[in-house]
Amino acid sequence: MTDSAPSLSPLIHLVDDDAAVREGLALLISTVGLRVQTWADPQSFMAGFERASVGAIVLDVRMPGISGLTVLEQLLAQGVDQPVILLTGHGTVEMCRRAFKTGAAEFLEKPVDDEVLIEALQNAVRQHVRSRERHQGDQQARERYAQLSAREREVLGLIVEGLTNKEIGRALELSPRTVETHRANLFAKLGAESLAQLIRRYAALVDAAS
Amino acid sequence: MLPAWRRLLPRHALHLPSLLLWVAVACIGCGWLVVDRLQQLHAAFETDARIVHRLLSQRVVQHDAIMATLALLQPAAAVDDLHNAASPLPRLTSVYPQILAVLQRSAHSDWPPALQAELTAAEATSRRTGHAAMAGLNLPAGRFYLVLAGTPASYALHIDLRATIPTDEWPMDMATSPVRVTLEQSGTAFVVQPGQADRGSGIRTYDFHKLLAAPSQPLDVVARRTVGLHELPWWRMLGWCLLTAALWAAGRALWRQRVARQRAEELLRLGQVARLNTLGELAAGMAHELNQPLTALLSSTQAAQRLLADDPPDLDTAQTAMTRAVEQARRASTVVGRLRRLVERPDLAGQAQPLALPTAVQDVLHLLEPELAQRGVVPEVLAAADLPPVLAEPVALQQIIHNLLMNALQALEQVPPAERQLRLSTERAESGRVTLSVRDHGPGIPPEARQHLFEPFYTTRTGGLGLGLTLCESLAQAMGAQLALAPEATPPSAAQRGAEFVLTLQAAPPTDDR
Repeated sequence: MTDSAPSLSPLIHLVDDDAAVREGLALLISTVGLRVQTWADPQSFMAGFERASVGAIVLDVRMPGISGLTVLEQLLAQGVDQPVILLTGHGTVEMCRRAFKTGAAEFLEKPVDDEVLIEALQNAVRQHVRSRERHQGDQQARERYAQLSAREREVLGLIVEGLTNKEIGRALELSPRTVETHRANLFAKLGAESLAQLIRRYAALVDAAS
Repeated sequence: MLPAWRRLLPRHALHLPSLLLWVAVACIGCGWLVVDRLQQLHAAFETDARIVHRLLSQRVVQHDAIMATLALLQPAAAVDDLHNAASPLPRLTSVYPQILAVLQRSAHSDWPPALQAELTAAEATSRRTGHAAMAGLNLPAGRFYLVLAGTPASYALHIDLRATIPTDEWPMDMATSPVRVTLEQSGTAFVVQPGQADRGSGIRTYDFHKLLAAPSQPLDVVARRTVGLHELPWWRMLGWCLLTAALWAAGRALWRQRVARQRAEELLRLGQVARLNTLGELAAGMAHELNQPLTALLSSTQAAQRLLADDPPDLDTAQTAMTRAVEQARRASTVVGRLRRLVERPDLAGQAQPLALPTAVQDVLHLLEPELAQRGVVPEVLAAADLPPVLAEPVALQQIIHNLLMNALQALEQVPPAERQLRLSTERAESGRVTLSVRDHGPGIPPEARQHLFEPFYTTRTGGLGLGLTLCESLAQAMGAQLALAPEATPPSAAQRGAEFVLTLQAAPPTDDR
């Protein structure tokens, strides 16, 4: 997990066995400023693509050797978090149902109109960026929470429950001044700027710890 | 591989379970025939034996009666004057052939010396028992004396058993009957009827023993019959076996026929499924083959559009994209061309030949007989007289008529059976053409469907492929004919409803011998 990934523009992985389709779609996608990396077959894609990159994967369903649906299943099994858009030349209702059930972000029919494809890609990228950010936020919160002392955690727990300093002091048999000190310390350690932000970020962690 | 001889037999001709069933049925039938025959023979034997016993008993009882009469009447006859005409005694021998001689012992005389001992002993027995007694029994020769003690005179009859037998009333043919009849006493026997000698092949022996119903002559009537193998109903058994074998063979043939028919139906159904699957595969393959270039084409042109809309426009890249688009458009057209060549039909016009249209119509009607019968449709066929032969490819023509009729039948399914009318008419049209009209009295074709009727994949039926009429039209055109939907009756009326298709064929040019 590198912090540098979000700073680069999102990368779209395009997997299709047909060179003309790859070229056409890659050019189209690049016109909206997204970077595209093309792969001629699922095997080399699975072996070589940058899993940390932010972006989305576009998969053709009908490819020699292995179906796009199978590739999707394998990606999910490996914990790949990029959203997957499936492209098919002859989609059936059953195939569509299976794709969404497996976890496809989008299921598009070939030939695909530029606006439809680009909108789907932008949605997928937004979704991925948000998911990565959320994931990173969670990670940061956990790290900061771990720095708190036992007493500070107790105080944080009671703050999240909505108690005032006085009430906390009574509950923990501390003077209100000491509570004030702990409170200031934990705000600093957790990097919280307001009570609302503190509660929004750490309530879940407190609940999980207690 | 099967050995050569095995291949000569139709497969499964020897169906083991049914063969065993036949064997069982044949055996049970034959067994029943044997048992029945044996029962018949036994019953006949018993009847004959009883008749024989009764007849013989009646005869020997006669002897008692004669003796009783003699003892009662005491006719006088000197021993030395036995043949005196005035005496009734000699006349007895002429009235009763079985009586060889009548002896009399008067109070003061004796029995003839040669027989004295036996006759005297018998007379004593008779006097004691009160009925006649036998003496001088010689069963092998069939001779004996019957003595009745009387007062004053006692009488004795010399009896010949051979003559006692009532041959005219005898129930069997004495020379040929297989039944042996004997009269027996203490180990000796008089053979009344020889019967067939016991053979080694005898399978059943019947016996009958009964004493004659005359206390004076206690002879045992013994009848014995041996049933030989040759007496079994062999011909009837053979007949039964052949009959059941024939039934078995017929049953097998029927069964095989049924199985074959079911298999044929199954194959037909499978064929239809396979055809649909092939069609589905073809459609999927075609979609993929066309969608790839179309996808590339669409994305390239749209990319070019976007590039040109940029400020400043990226002309070089846009041009590259357009070049690619052109390539992909060509690729798509190659796919279509390849597909057309793949399913191209041979030129039917070259194979057109003169043929009689009414005959072709009759052939198809014959093929569709089960379909017509199933829907209760009786087609009305109107054939114009003196119709010239038409130019057509026979199979294509049949297929067109078949499809038109099937369409009509499916339309007729939607109306009540009583209204299911179907009319086929052949007519001579102008400029050397012949028309075949197929008109059904079904619900007709809705106006919005009329103009799309011959378009591929257009169908008004759920689950229809929408290729039937398209195919008919291309077949017709390929052999220089036209298929058209006849215009609706104006104004539309209930009596006129339905659809009418008209196939217009070219008449064959007159040949030289016409």
